[in-house]
Amino acid sequence: MKTMILSDEKNTGSSVMDRVGENIIHHVSNSDITHPIVHLPQIFGVDMSVTKHVLMLWITAFLLSIAIIIPVRAYLKQNNFIPSGIANAIESITQFIRDSIVAPNVGPKWVNTWTPLMLTFFFFILFANGIGMVPIFDVIGVINRFVLNVPYEADHNFINGLLHGGVTATGNFNVTAALAIITFFSIMIAGTKAHGFINHWKNLVPSGLAWPIYIILIPIELMGLLVKPFALTMRLAANMTGGHIALLALLSLTAIFAEMFHSAAAGIGVALISVPMAAAISGLEIIVVIVQAYVFTLLTAVFVGMAINVHH
Amino acid sequence: MEATIFMPIGFGLIVIGASLGIGKFASAAAESIARQPEAADKITGAINLPLFLLEGVAILAEVFTFLMLIL
Repeated sequence: MKTMILSDEKNTGSSVMDRVGENIIHHVSNSDITHPIVHLPQIFGVDMSVTKHVLMLWITAFLLSIAIIIPVRAYLKQNNFIPSGIANAIESITQFIRDSIVAPNVGPKWVNTWTPLMLTFFFFILFANGIGMVPIFDVIGVINRFVLNVPYEADHNFINGLLHGGVTATGNFNVTAALAIITFFSIMIAGTKAHGFINHWKNLVPSGLAWPIYIILIPIELMGLLVKPFALTMRLAANMTGGHIALLALLSLTAIFAEMFHSAAAGIGVALISVPMAAAISGLEIIVVIVQAYVFTLLTAVFVGMAINVHH
Repeated sequence: MEATIFMPIGFGLIVIGASLGIGKFASAAAESIARQPEAADKITGAINLPLFLLEGVAILAEVFTFLMLIL
Protein backbone atom coordinates (compact mmCIF):
# COMPACT_ATOMS: atom_id res chain seq x y z
CA MET A 1 0.00 0.00 0.00
CA LYS A 2 2.79 2.32 0.94
CA THR A 3 4.85 1.59 -2.15
CA MET A 4 1.74 2.37 -4.15
CA ILE A 5 1.53 5.88 -2.76
CA LEU A 6 5.22 6.35 -3.25
CA SER A 7 5.48 5.39 -6.88
CA ASP A 8 2.27 7.20 -7.77
CA GLU A 9 4.31 10.31 -7.41
CA LYS A 10 7.22 8.93 -9.37
CA ASN A 11 5.59 8.28 -12.75
CA THR A 12 2.68 10.66 -12.99
CA GLY A 13 2.57 10.30 -16.78
CA SER A 14 0.76 6.95 -17.14
CA SER A 15 -2.81 6.16 -16.07
CA VAL A 16 -3.71 4.88 -12.63
CA MET A 17 -4.57 1.41 -13.97
CA ASP A 18 -1.06 0.93 -15.35
CA ARG A 19 0.57 2.20 -12.20
CA VAL A 20 -1.57 -0.03 -9.95
CA GLY A 21 -0.62 -3.18 -11.86
CA GLU A 22 3.02 -2.15 -11.84
CA ASN A 23 2.93 -1.51 -8.12
CA ILE A 24 1.35 -4.86 -7.32
CA ILE A 25 4.03 -6.72 -9.29
CA HIS A 26 6.66 -4.46 -7.75
CA HIS A 27 5.37 -5.26 -4.28
CA VAL A 28 5.37 -9.06 -4.56
CA SER A 29 8.55 -9.56 -6.59
CA ASN A 30 12.11 -9.38 -5.37
CA SER A 31 13.98 -6.10 -5.49
CA ASP A 32 16.05 -5.39 -8.58
CA ILE A 33 19.61 -6.70 -8.50
CA THR A 34 20.78 -3.30 -9.79
CA HIS A 35 19.34 -1.67 -6.65
CA PRO A 36 20.45 -4.05 -3.89
CA ILE A 37 20.21 -3.13 -0.23
CA VAL A 38 23.82 -4.06 0.48
CA HIS A 39 26.42 -4.09 -2.31
CA LEU A 40 28.71 -7.11 -2.20
CA PRO A 41 31.38 -8.16 -4.73
CA GLN A 42 30.91 -10.94 -7.26
CA ILE A 43 32.13 -14.38 -6.22
CA PHE A 44 32.70 -16.88 -9.07
CA GLY A 45 30.62 -14.68 -11.37
CA VAL A 46 27.62 -14.69 -9.01
CA ASP A 47 26.52 -11.33 -7.69
CA MET A 48 26.35 -11.74 -3.92
CA SER A 49 24.54 -8.42 -3.30
CA VAL A 50 21.78 -8.55 -0.72
CA THR A 51 18.34 -7.96 -2.20
CA LYS A 52 15.08 -7.67 -0.29
CA HIS A 53 14.31 -11.37 -0.15
CA VAL A 54 17.82 -12.23 1.00
CA LEU A 55 17.45 -9.68 3.78
CA MET A 56 14.12 -11.28 4.72
CA LEU A 57 15.81 -14.70 4.83
CA TRP A 58 18.38 -13.29 7.22
CA ILE A 59 15.68 -11.77 9.40
CA THR A 60 13.87 -15.11 9.34
CA ALA A 61 17.03 -16.90 10.42
CA PHE A 62 17.60 -14.35 13.18
CA LEU A 63 14.04 -14.65 14.50
CA LEU A 64 14.21 -18.45 14.29
CA SER A 65 17.36 -18.53 16.36
CA ILE A 66 15.75 -16.29 18.98
CA ALA A 67 12.40 -18.08 19.07
CA ILE A 68 13.48 -21.70 18.58
CA ILE A 69 17.18 -22.41 19.00
CA ILE A 70 17.79 -20.46 22.24
CA PRO A 71 14.76 -21.93 24.14
CA VAL A 72 15.64 -25.43 22.92
CA ARG A 73 19.27 -25.04 24.07
CA ALA A 74 18.08 -23.74 27.41
CA TYR A 75 15.68 -26.68 27.71
CA LEU A 76 18.42 -29.18 26.92
CA LYS A 77 20.71 -27.65 29.55
CA GLN A 78 18.26 -27.85 32.44
CA ASN A 79 18.09 -30.92 34.64
CA ASN A 80 14.39 -31.75 34.69
CA PHE A 81 12.26 -32.58 31.67
CA ILE A 82 9.57 -30.00 32.37
CA PRO A 83 9.57 -27.30 29.68
CA SER A 84 8.99 -23.72 30.70
CA GLY A 85 7.85 -20.64 28.81
CA ILE A 86 8.15 -20.78 25.04
CA ALA A 87 9.59 -24.30 25.20
CA ASN A 88 6.03 -25.50 25.94
CA ALA A 89 4.82 -24.24 22.57
CA ILE A 90 7.83 -25.67 20.76
CA GLU A 91 7.29 -29.02 22.44
CA SER A 92 3.64 -29.23 21.45
CA ILE A 93 4.43 -28.34 17.82
CA THR A 94 7.31 -30.80 17.76
CA GLN A 95 5.13 -33.55 19.12
CA PHE A 96 2.38 -32.75 16.62
CA ILE A 97 4.79 -32.92 13.69
CA ARG A 98 6.44 -36.10 14.91
CA ASP A 99 3.26 -37.95 15.82
CA SER A 100 0.80 -36.82 13.15
CA ILE A 101 2.97 -35.90 10.17
CA VAL A 102 6.19 -37.88 10.21
CA ALA A 103 5.38 -41.07 12.09
CA PRO A 104 2.32 -42.20 10.05
CA ASN A 105 4.13 -41.60 6.75
CA VAL A 106 7.74 -42.52 7.38
CA GLY A 107 7.12 -45.38 9.78
CA PRO A 108 8.36 -46.08 13.32
CA LYS A 109 11.85 -47.15 12.28
CA TRP A 110 12.93 -43.92 10.57
CA VAL A 111 10.83 -41.37 12.44
CA ASN A 112 13.71 -40.00 14.50
CA THR A 113 15.89 -39.72 11.42
CA TRP A 114 13.50 -37.49 9.49
CA THR A 115 11.67 -35.49 12.17
CA PRO A 116 14.48 -32.89 12.51
CA LEU A 117 14.35 -32.09 8.79
CA MET A 118 10.56 -31.75 8.84
CA LEU A 119 10.73 -29.52 11.90
CA THR A 120 13.30 -27.32 10.17
CA PHE A 121 11.07 -27.05 7.11
CA PHE A 122 8.01 -26.28 9.21
CA PHE A 123 9.53 -23.59 11.38
CA PHE A 124 11.45 -21.94 8.56
CA ILE A 125 8.46 -21.77 6.22
CA LEU A 126 6.14 -20.69 9.02
CA PHE A 127 8.41 -17.81 10.02
CA ALA A 128 9.24 -16.76 6.46
CA ASN A 129 5.53 -16.79 5.53
CA GLY A 130 4.51 -15.05 8.72
CA ILE A 131 6.96 -12.19 8.34
CA GLY A 132 5.39 -11.52 4.95
CA MET A 133 2.16 -10.61 6.73
CA VAL A 134 3.86 -8.02 8.95
CA PRO A 135 4.00 -4.71 7.05
CA ILE A 136 6.95 -3.45 9.09
CA PHE A 137 8.88 -2.04 6.12
CA ASP A 138 5.82 -0.22 4.86
CA VAL A 139 5.41 1.45 8.25
CA ILE A 140 9.09 2.42 8.25
CA GLY A 141 8.57 3.76 4.72
CA VAL A 142 5.62 5.90 5.84
CA ILE A 143 7.74 7.39 8.63
CA ASN A 144 10.62 7.90 6.21
CA ARG A 145 8.43 9.60 3.64
CA PHE A 146 6.14 11.78 5.75
CA VAL A 147 8.08 12.36 8.99
CA LEU A 148 11.67 12.51 7.72
CA ASN A 149 10.55 13.91 4.32
CA VAL A 150 12.83 11.78 2.18
CA PRO A 151 11.58 11.97 -1.44
CA TYR A 152 10.78 8.79 -3.37
CA GLU A 153 13.44 9.60 -5.99
CA ALA A 154 16.28 9.27 -3.45
CA ASP A 155 17.52 5.90 -4.73
CA HIS A 156 20.51 5.75 -2.40
CA ASN A 157 18.44 6.23 0.75
CA PHE A 158 18.68 2.98 2.73
CA ILE A 159 15.00 2.87 3.70
CA ASN A 160 13.87 3.64 0.16
CA GLY A 161 16.06 0.70 -0.86
CA LEU A 162 14.15 -1.44 1.65
CA LEU A 163 10.89 -0.59 -0.10
CA HIS A 164 12.01 -1.95 -3.47
CA GLY A 165 10.31 -5.33 -3.70
CA GLY A 166 8.24 -7.60 -1.52
CA VAL A 167 8.76 -9.01 1.92
CA THR A 168 7.66 -12.66 1.69
CA ALA A 169 10.85 -14.58 1.03
CA THR A 170 8.86 -17.78 0.38
CA GLY A 171 6.93 -15.91 -2.32
CA ASN A 172 10.09 -16.06 -4.40
CA PHE A 173 10.34 -19.12 -6.63
CA ASN A 174 14.10 -19.37 -6.06
CA VAL A 175 13.68 -19.75 -2.31
CA THR A 176 11.00 -22.41 -2.57
CA ALA A 177 12.96 -24.16 -5.32
CA ALA A 178 15.90 -24.41 -2.94
CA LEU A 179 13.61 -25.91 -0.28
CA ALA A 180 12.15 -28.36 -2.82
CA ILE A 181 15.65 -29.41 -3.92
CA ILE A 182 16.36 -30.31 -0.30
CA THR A 183 13.18 -32.42 -0.39
CA PHE A 184 14.32 -34.04 -3.66
CA PHE A 185 17.65 -35.08 -2.22
CA SER A 186 16.12 -36.23 1.05
CA ILE A 187 13.85 -38.54 -0.95
CA MET A 188 16.97 -39.98 -2.61
CA ILE A 189 18.84 -40.29 0.67
CA ALA A 190 15.84 -41.86 2.43
CA GLY A 191 15.45 -44.50 -0.27
CA THR A 192 19.16 -45.19 -0.39
CA LYS A 193 19.48 -45.52 3.38
CA ALA A 194 16.47 -47.83 3.62
CA HIS A 195 17.05 -50.08 0.61
CA GLY A 196 20.53 -49.42 -0.74
CA PHE A 197 21.39 -47.38 -3.82
CA ILE A 198 20.55 -49.95 -6.50
CA ASN A 199 17.35 -51.14 -4.84
CA HIS A 200 16.12 -47.58 -4.36
CA TRP A 201 16.18 -46.99 -8.10
CA LYS A 202 14.69 -50.43 -8.73
CA ASN A 203 11.85 -49.53 -6.35
CA LEU A 204 10.77 -46.68 -8.62
CA VAL A 205 8.78 -49.14 -10.72
CA PRO A 206 7.01 -52.28 -9.51
CA SER A 207 8.80 -55.47 -10.45
CA GLY A 208 7.38 -58.47 -12.25
CA LEU A 209 5.34 -56.78 -14.98
CA ALA A 210 5.40 -57.60 -18.66
CA TRP A 211 8.29 -55.77 -20.35
CA PRO A 212 6.29 -53.46 -22.67
CA ILE A 213 4.73 -51.77 -19.65
CA TYR A 214 8.16 -50.63 -18.47
CA ILE A 215 8.63 -48.62 -21.67
CA ILE A 216 5.76 -46.38 -20.54
CA LEU A 217 6.21 -46.72 -16.80
CA ILE A 218 9.89 -45.81 -16.42
CA PRO A 219 9.60 -42.39 -18.13
CA ILE A 220 6.44 -41.63 -16.16
CA GLU A 221 8.09 -42.48 -12.86
CA LEU A 222 11.20 -40.47 -13.75
CA MET A 223 8.98 -37.50 -14.62
CA GLY A 224 7.10 -37.96 -11.34
CA LEU A 225 10.45 -37.76 -9.56
CA LEU A 226 10.95 -34.24 -10.92
CA VAL A 227 7.31 -33.15 -10.76
CA LYS A 228 7.13 -33.71 -6.99
CA PRO A 229 9.65 -30.97 -6.04
CA PHE A 230 8.39 -28.77 -8.88
CA ALA A 231 4.83 -28.90 -7.53
CA LEU A 232 6.13 -28.15 -4.03
CA THR A 233 7.98 -25.10 -5.38
CA MET A 234 5.01 -23.75 -7.27
CA ARG A 235 2.48 -24.43 -4.53
CA LEU A 236 4.28 -22.53 -1.80
CA ALA A 237 5.47 -19.59 -3.91
CA ALA A 238 2.20 -19.14 -5.79
CA ASN A 239 0.15 -19.33 -2.59
CA MET A 240 2.23 -16.70 -0.86
CA THR A 241 2.31 -14.43 -3.91
CA GLY A 242 -1.35 -14.89 -4.75
CA GLY A 243 -2.61 -13.83 -1.34
CA HIS A 244 -0.57 -10.65 -1.43
CA ILE A 245 -1.76 -9.85 -4.94
CA ALA A 246 -5.38 -10.26 -3.82
CA LEU A 247 -4.80 -7.97 -0.84
CA LEU A 248 -3.11 -5.28 -2.90
CA ALA A 249 -5.70 -5.51 -5.68
CA LEU A 250 -8.48 -4.92 -3.16
CA LEU A 251 -6.66 -1.93 -1.68
CA SER A 252 -5.87 -0.58 -5.15
CA LEU A 253 -9.60 -0.39 -5.93
CA THR A 254 -9.59 2.83 -3.89
CA ALA A 255 -7.16 4.51 -6.29
CA ILE A 256 -8.86 3.04 -9.38
CA PHE A 257 -12.35 4.24 -8.39
CA ALA A 258 -11.08 7.65 -7.38
CA GLU A 259 -9.50 7.99 -10.82
CA MET A 260 -12.54 6.63 -12.69
CA PHE A 261 -15.03 9.05 -11.11
CA HIS A 262 -12.53 11.94 -10.70
CA SER A 263 -13.41 12.41 -7.05
CA ALA A 264 -11.83 11.53 -3.76
CA ALA A 265 -15.27 10.73 -2.34
CA ALA A 266 -15.64 7.73 -4.66
CA GLY A 267 -12.28 6.44 -3.51
CA ILE A 268 -13.16 6.85 0.15
CA GLY A 269 -16.56 5.21 -0.43
CA VAL A 270 -14.92 2.17 -2.02
CA ALA A 271 -12.33 2.11 0.76
CA LEU A 272 -15.18 1.66 3.27
CA ILE A 273 -15.87 -1.70 1.59
CA SER A 274 -12.46 -2.74 0.31
CA VAL A 275 -10.48 -2.13 3.49
CA PRO A 276 -12.67 -4.43 5.66
CA MET A 277 -12.52 -6.98 2.86
CA ALA A 278 -8.75 -6.68 2.80
CA ALA A 279 -8.75 -7.21 6.56
CA ALA A 280 -10.83 -10.36 6.08
CA ILE A 281 -8.46 -11.60 3.36
CA SER A 282 -5.59 -10.91 5.77
CA GLY A 283 -7.29 -13.24 8.24
CA LEU A 284 -7.54 -15.87 5.49
CA GLU A 285 -3.87 -15.26 4.69
CA ILE A 286 -2.90 -16.04 8.27
CA ILE A 287 -4.62 -19.41 7.88
CA VAL A 288 -2.84 -19.90 4.54
CA VAL A 289 0.51 -19.08 6.18
CA ILE A 290 0.06 -21.89 8.71
CA VAL A 291 -1.53 -24.33 6.26
CA GLN A 292 1.22 -23.91 3.67
CA ALA A 293 3.94 -24.58 6.23
CA TYR A 294 1.97 -27.68 7.28
CA VAL A 295 1.43 -28.78 3.68
CA PHE A 296 5.08 -28.49 2.70
CA THR A 297 6.08 -30.52 5.75
CA LEU A 298 3.34 -33.09 5.20
CA LEU A 299 4.13 -33.60 1.52
CA THR A 300 7.86 -33.89 2.21
CA ALA A 301 7.07 -36.51 4.84
CA VAL A 302 4.77 -38.34 2.40
CA PHE A 303 7.38 -38.36 -0.37
CA VAL A 304 10.13 -39.52 1.98
CA GLY A 305 7.75 -42.16 3.31
CA MET A 306 6.98 -43.30 -0.24
CA ALA A 307 10.68 -43.87 -0.85
CA ILE A 308 11.03 -45.85 2.39
CA ASN A 309 7.79 -47.88 2.46
CA VAL A 310 7.41 -48.96 -1.14
CA HIS A 311 3.87 -50.05 -1.97
CA HIS A 312 4.30 -52.24 -4.99
CA MET B 1 -6.65 -12.13 -31.77
CA GLU B 2 -4.50 -11.94 -28.69
CA ALA B 3 -4.28 -15.12 -26.66
CA THR B 4 -4.24 -13.10 -23.46
CA ILE B 5 -7.91 -12.19 -23.98
CA PHE B 6 -8.80 -15.74 -23.00
CA MET B 7 -6.70 -15.70 -19.86
CA PRO B 8 -9.53 -14.61 -17.53
CA ILE B 9 -11.65 -17.44 -18.97
CA GLY B 10 -8.84 -19.84 -18.14
CA PHE B 11 -8.66 -18.54 -14.60
CA GLY B 12 -12.41 -18.95 -14.28
CA LEU B 13 -12.28 -22.55 -15.54
CA ILE B 14 -9.52 -23.37 -13.07
CA VAL B 15 -11.51 -21.88 -10.22
CA ILE B 16 -14.64 -23.82 -11.24
CA GLY B 17 -12.71 -27.08 -11.38
CA ALA B 18 -10.89 -26.56 -8.11
CA SER B 19 -14.02 -25.46 -6.27
CA LEU B 20 -15.98 -28.46 -7.54
CA GLY B 21 -13.20 -30.74 -6.32
CA ILE B 22 -12.92 -29.08 -2.92
CA GLY B 23 -16.71 -29.09 -2.58
CA LYS B 24 -16.81 -32.84 -3.19
CA PHE B 25 -14.10 -33.39 -0.60
CA ALA B 26 -15.88 -31.26 1.97
CA SER B 27 -19.27 -32.87 1.42
CA ALA B 28 -17.87 -36.39 1.54
CA ALA B 29 -15.93 -35.62 4.70
CA ALA B 30 -18.92 -33.98 6.37
CA GLU B 31 -21.18 -36.91 5.52
CA SER B 32 -18.74 -39.54 6.73
CA ILE B 33 -18.01 -37.63 9.94
CA ALA B 34 -21.76 -37.32 10.53
CA ARG B 35 -22.09 -41.08 10.15
CA GLN B 36 -19.09 -41.95 12.28
CA PRO B 37 -18.16 -39.04 14.55
CA GLU B 38 -15.59 -41.16 16.38
CA ALA B 39 -13.57 -41.56 13.13
CA ALA B 40 -13.35 -37.80 12.55
CA ASP B 41 -9.57 -37.68 13.08
CA LYS B 42 -8.90 -40.48 10.64
CA ILE B 43 -11.21 -38.98 8.03
CA THR B 44 -9.56 -35.57 8.35
CA GLY B 45 -6.16 -37.17 7.92
CA ALA B 46 -7.30 -39.12 4.90
CA ILE B 47 -8.77 -36.16 3.05
CA ASN B 48 -5.92 -33.77 3.86
CA LEU B 49 -3.36 -35.11 1.40
CA PRO B 50 -5.55 -35.36 -1.73
CA LEU B 51 -6.99 -31.96 -0.86
CA PHE B 52 -3.55 -30.39 -0.95
CA LEU B 53 -2.63 -32.27 -4.12
CA LEU B 54 -5.79 -30.85 -5.72
CA GLU B 55 -4.85 -27.41 -4.54
CA GLY B 56 -1.39 -27.91 -6.02
CA VAL B 57 -2.84 -28.82 -9.41
CA ALA B 58 -5.06 -25.72 -9.38
CA ILE B 59 -2.17 -23.48 -8.36
CA LEU B 60 0.05 -24.96 -11.07
CA ALA B 61 -2.65 -24.30 -13.65
CA GLU B 62 -3.01 -20.71 -12.47
CA VAL B 63 0.74 -20.17 -12.56
CA PHE B 64 0.96 -21.50 -16.11
CA THR B 65 -1.97 -19.36 -17.18
CA PHE B 66 -0.33 -16.34 -15.61
CA LEU B 67 2.99 -17.18 -17.31
CA MET B 68 1.16 -17.19 -20.65
CA LEU B 69 0.09 -13.62 -19.91
CA ILE B 70 3.53 -12.27 -19.11
CA LEU B 71 5.63 -14.33 -21.55
